[in-house]
Amino acid sequence: MKIHKTDINKVTDYIWEIPKSFRPAMRVPARVLASEPLLDDIMGDRSLVQLVNVASLPGIKGAALVMPDVHEGYGFPIGGVAATIFPDGAISPGGIGYDINCGVRLLTSNLKRDHIKDKTEALSKEMYAQIPSGMGKGGQIRLSEQEMDQVLLKGAEWAIEKGYGKKEDLAYMESNGRLQDADPSLVSAMAKKRGTDQLGTIGSGNHFVEVDYIEEVYDETIAKAYGLCKDQIVVMIHTGSRGLGHQIATDYTKQIITAMPRYGMQVPDRELACVPFNSIEGQNYFKAMCAAANYAWCNREIISWEARKAWANIFGAKVEPLKLMYDLAHNIAKIETHLVHGEKAQLIVHRKGATRAFGPGFKELPQDYKAVGQPVIIPGSMGTFSFVLAGTPISEELTFGSCCHGAGRRLSRTAAKKQVNAPVLQEKLKEKGIFVTAGSYKGIAEEAPIAYKDVNMVVQTISDSGIAKKVAKLRPVAVIKG
Amino acid sequence: MKVEYLPHTADIRMRITAAHLQELFHVGIIGMGNILKENFCLQDYPFDQKLKIEITASDPTCLLIDFLSEVLSVSCTEKGIFCKVIFIEFTPIKTIAEIYGKHVFGFDEEIKAVTYHEADIFKNNDGHWETMVVFDI
Repeated sequence: MKIHKTDINKVTDYIWEIPKSFRPAMRVPARVLASEPLLDDIMGDRSLVQLVNVASLPGIKGAALVMPDVHEGYGFPIGGVAATIFPDGAISPGGIGYDINCGVRLLTSNLKRDHIKDKTEALSKEMYAQIPSGMGKGGQIRLSEQEMDQVLLKGAEWAIEKGYGKKEDLAYMESNGRLQDADPSLVSAMAKKRGTDQLGTIGSGNHFVEVDYIEEVYDETIAKAYGLCKDQIVVMIHTGSRGLGHQIATDYTKQIITAMPRYGMQVPDRELACVPFNSIEGQNYFKAMCAAANYAWCNREIISWEARKAWANIFGAKVEPLKLMYDLAHNIAKIETHLVHGEKAQLIVHRKGATRAFGPGFKELPQDYKAVGQPVIIPGSMGTFSFVLAGTPISEELTFGSCCHGAGRRLSRTAAKKQVNAPVLQEKLKEKGIFVTAGSYKGIAEEAPIAYKDVNMVVQTISDSGIAKKVAKLRPVAVIKG
Repeated sequence: MKVEYLPHTADIRMRITAAHLQELFHVGIIGMGNILKENFCLQDYPFDQKLKIEITASDPTCLLIDFLSEVLSVSCTEKGIFCKVIFIEFTPIKTIAEIYGKHVFGFDEEIKAVTYHEADIFKNNDGHWETMVVFDI
């Protein structure tokens, strides 16, 4: 199947639609949120073919959506949103991804750019020393079977109970760092084994810890509510549920492929395998997914504890510790209420490489954010800008309350490695005041800025479409990678 | 037997071919092992890990993906790379196999999963078994 630009209708300057009539299996239209230049870029890989496949999911409502950072995945496109009707619409592990609750958090400090100028390299090295990273590397914590079950049940709360976190952080996490539907008994022994020694580790690939300063504030009122100001130093963490989440997704994708025919469900790609949400298999997967999401929140809380230790080691115990601004999942399924054709409906919202972006008044938000909307954190590529935005009511109208999750990859890892000389890039970034500490040159080359779309264009599209407001632009000074 | 790595925006796309179906599974673990650590399975290391695995599936394609997923899982838990397989039982929907590997200190690449996307075992024009395997990285 090929999709040509003539198959796509322009709805607005930022919304493009492949109509339901494009292919008989489609149950809803496929919509792309992008400026025209970004749409042209998106058409360079198979993202839209994959989006059309998503539009055929049983029970899907409204439209299958992709954000401007979309790129080709392995079934669902990365940067996609699919909402199916509760309680009997499809749930698909592929719509969440193997790295369940991969997400990002931002910690703020009371230090300004000038305060850390002479200590950036030392901070970078100390962060690298304190935060385990890299492929197949374990952390300092070894969980017993009982402890593992508590982590899967309680999420970030477990870290706080054990002294690895701060109680006040919970209010600043999506779902307060814990999904109540988690059931550890539905997580396989293999998944638990893989997760035993990985709490507090970032892993590899595009996961990172980054120290940034706020180069520009776009909206003073919202920035003030979020505790952000110009030249302030902040720390960003990007990682997920590690091997435990990968194994849960693997286990349940296999089970659901087998179960799917019993429910008369058909999909054009096995990675879209799904069952009704209220089926036994659907419920089992959802509860195991919630457990993995809790593990991921616990993981990011412990990494914050490690980052706080590094911070204190460099700046001294008297400096105010890092404060959590917000923590968001971008690979997850949630039960939410949204308008579908003007009527309220309960939906199973799959976000795969997409961030929740709810507007002001959302009841889960902490009191100090309620008037301005939920923070949305958009990491750019290594060496370019990242952004903080604020969700708006428009996102709830257009995208089931969702936004992009990053810059979006555009070059394969192989192509990036061919085009990038990692030692040279590392030196160039250092000249620009960005210290990159990584486990391998390969990791640096694969994540080079050239491998990603222009994050400024992606964020501008989000802002112009109205689904989130620009609040602040962040420039990196230190990047820690596996 | 042949392994080729093809372009993919974010992940790793591997095309494998082999004269026999069983051999395709062997090519699969070699191809995966060489991703986990560059060219690891092309070298002549003495193996120090041996595990028995049993997989059943609805068709040969699912059997291959589930087999590779299981090998990946034990690579992560045992911190080893498995390059050799001896089949005790092999049918298009069931396999019992012994896999042989070597302990490693970390991988070059973290494979999150072996996906079913684009996987479809077929006989190509040369009469060889062939399929694509996409790894989530």
